[in-house]
Amino acid sequence: MHGLTGFVVRRLLLGVLTLFVTSVIIFGATQALPGDAARSILGRSATPESLAELRRQLGLDQPVLTQYWEWISGVLTGDLGTSLANSLPVSDVIGEPIVYSLFLMVLAAVISVPLGIALGAVSARRRDSAFDQTTSVATLGLAALPEFVVGITLVVLFATTVFQWLPAVAVTEPGVGPWNYPKELILPVITLVIAVVPYTARIMRASTVEILESDFVEMARLKGLPERRVLWRHAVPNALAPTFQVTALNLAYLAGGIVVVEAVFNYQGVGLLLVDSVRARDMPVVQAVALLIAALYVILNLLADLATILVSPRLRTSLS
Amino acid sequence: MVTADEALSREVQRGMTRQDIVKRAAALGIVVSAGTLGPLTEAAFARTQIKRGGTFRQATSGGTTDFIDGNHIVAKSDIVRLVATFDALARFDEKGKIQMHLAEELKAEKANQYLIRVRKGIEFHNGKTLTIDDVIYSIARTKNAKLKLFGNAAFGAIDLKRIKKLDKYTCRLTLSRPDVTLLEAFAQYFQGVVPKGYQPTAVGKGPLQYVGTGPFKVKSFTPGRESVHTKNANYWIDGQPYFDEVRIINFPSDAAKVNALLSGQIDAMADVPFAQVPVVKNRGRKILVSPTGAWTPLCMRVDVAPFTDVRVRRAFRLLINRPQVVRQGLSGYGFVANDIYSPFDPAYAGDEFPQRRYDPEQARSLLRQAGHSNGLDVELVTSPADTGMVEGATIFAQNAKAGGVNVTVRNVDGGTIYGDQYLKWPFSADYWGTRNYLLQAATGVLKTAPFNETHWDAYSGYPKFERLYRQALGTVNEKKRAEIIREMQRMEYNDGGLIIWGFKSLTDGYSQKVGGYKVDRGTLNLNKYGNGFRTIYFV
Repeated sequence: MHGLTGFVVRRLLLGVLTLFVTSVIIFGATQALPGDAARSILGRSATPESLAELRRQLGLDQPVLTQYWEWISGVLTGDLGTSLANSLPVSDVIGEPIVYSLFLMVLAAVISVPLGIALGAVSARRRDSAFDQTTSVATLGLAALPEFVVGITLVVLFATTVFQWLPAVAVTEPGVGPWNYPKELILPVITLVIAVVPYTARIMRASTVEILESDFVEMARLKGLPERRVLWRHAVPNALAPTFQVTALNLAYLAGGIVVVEAVFNYQGVGLLLVDSVRARDMPVVQAVALLIAALYVILNLLADLATILVSPRLRTSLS
Repeated sequence: MVTADEALSREVQRGMTRQDIVKRAAALGIVVSAGTLGPLTEAAFARTQIKRGGTFRQATSGGTTDFIDGNHIVAKSDIVRLVATFDALARFDEKGKIQMHLAEELKAEKANQYLIRVRKGIEFHNGKTLTIDDVIYSIARTKNAKLKLFGNAAFGAIDLKRIKKLDKYTCRLTLSRPDVTLLEAFAQYFQGVVPKGYQPTAVGKGPLQYVGTGPFKVKSFTPGRESVHTKNANYWIDGQPYFDEVRIINFPSDAAKVNALLSGQIDAMADVPFAQVPVVKNRGRKILVSPTGAWTPLCMRVDVAPFTDVRVRRAFRLLINRPQVVRQGLSGYGFVANDIYSPFDPAYAGDEFPQRRYDPEQARSLLRQAGHSNGLDVELVTSPADTGMVEGATIFAQNAKAGGVNVTVRNVDGGTIYGDQYLKWPFSADYWGTRNYLLQAATGVLKTAPFNETHWDAYSGYPKFERLYRQALGTVNEKKRAEIIREMQRMEYNDGGLIIWGFKSLTDGYSQKVGGYKVDRGTLNLNKYGNGFRTIYFV
């Protein structure tokens, strides 16, 4: 497995480089926004003197490169800095939101990946049947809907206007984990599942259809294996490789798309924090959250590639 | 002599319905109908409806920059938390009249001399007894320019060296100049009395961080997320507050707030968007509509062409269809104004001058006289920072076309309009709450005002305006003062740089399970958030 280790190390180094470039871009972007943290803290009552004073206190009067250097050198020693908005350590500020967002994402992934794979596989097996047609239309339609539309529709249906079965938003207490709020989680999870399942199901259907027409599946059928066994034992494992890639991209997309879902449901994750911090021009928190999301992209892509290699014998052997 | 109403009010008991009261009245030989009980009986009935205890959940906007301070605010979220935690010496009641609060006595002995006596036996949240030293410390804190506190400008006339402590509870202020507005300044909610030595540095640091005398003590606070406040059991007004706990919860958007109100996850929210008001009502929730003196003017800079010419200013004031803005921009929640602010000031004269109407013909002729016979091109900067700013600007732009004025509306975010160019834009929208006339002039119109929007000091008649202002500040006689203020308003009506098209009402939403809210003329939402959550209760 020497080749595989080398591959992982190379990819990790590239990942670090990606994160560095991301941090530079984010830093540049926050600088380009009109206004700064001092102005957002002081609000409309800011005077030129009070602004200058606060900028000095926050270090915003330093040259841009100096500010960046101070921040990145802190990060390299494990210090994410201090929030400009409320002078709490960034690690304290982002700790709980990370737990909230990860929990929501994992929950959504655990439900949507098997569901997408199953839907895709069954659709492929019963190609052009009523089931396949319905699934196709439904997945295409849902894929076209942005998350906030799905989220708001669910709220109208199940929380406010039609039925009042579920809480419309998540009102959660600081210091209490998200798993203590099962009812509050239902609508956000469904929204995310609806965002991910269509893509997974579509790609799974396409690759299973292809595999089902291949020679070795034909062979299995000729040997008299039951169709159920042909599908789940022989076709599906081979159809998974491209599905992993799409799923990883989708989950990574979730990390960013979660911003919208969290805003709709007032769910206290990194997405809400990011929106708030951009509004407050709170550079250290924006950087930390953006890097976190970028790191998630890198890691998920790496995992997807690894999974693809492991389920594709040809790739597996070419590396070792 | 006991009136029928008084007699009946004594009969009202807990658990009685209106029908029960009518029956009881009949037994006593009093004729009333269930809908129109006498005022005393109504009050007695209302008292029986109060359910003590419970956790009240208030939604607020705001974000990670939220803070709690007795003398400072930036966003509405800071206001909500301030009023729950701190009391001021005096307060405005629902009608806008000043009532004593922590002060037992607070009065102008002369135009430049004030006496303050605080009530005895009031405790801070940490058990310390309130004395005049805390009041003197609070004044000095607000006056400290380095701290950049919100109420700083209103205390300009106070001379710290000439505050004389008379006894443990009393002091006398001798001002550096006459100022009759000081009483109003002390009644502003953000002039909370803080304990001597109060010096907040950052969130959660310092032992006196959140110590006030208010109805609720701060239990926990996570900026951008929520704060939890527990009942101040030693509160100085008997029986108040009613709730055991108040949670103030941040929401990222109005939509999330409305949804939370509809699904019963919060008990009250400020500023239900006008379009959502019917939805909230249809679902059984209540809307508190409070006509206030809040306004979103269009500000013309008098020292910048073309507004240096008074004829252009007058023409622009004729180029907006005011009823249309109130109807379309505010969905009817407001009333038409006449370019004068402070409608609840006893000396308000805006309704005595002829009401300006939309008159493009007249405007065209004024512009022609000013040398703009080929029309004018102007840029109007606005922002969705407050309801009415974008609406007023947009409708003005449509209306102005007929007068030959081509207005380009530039809609920017709050950070930009209040950025480095704020108070420098030649033509821009802004927003204000309810204030009385002299205080508003000192805040936004005078040359020395911290928010000198229109730079009216460039106008040739301005020295007279400032002279009148000084004279009014030194006039204790209310009638004479009103005369002077009327003259100031006449000057602004004729030659000023503000286009004030209307005053806005607040539309706040609350659960049908909550009682005690009253219609309030003040700037603050929800009857000053139920006067710091002390006059509202579950029913």
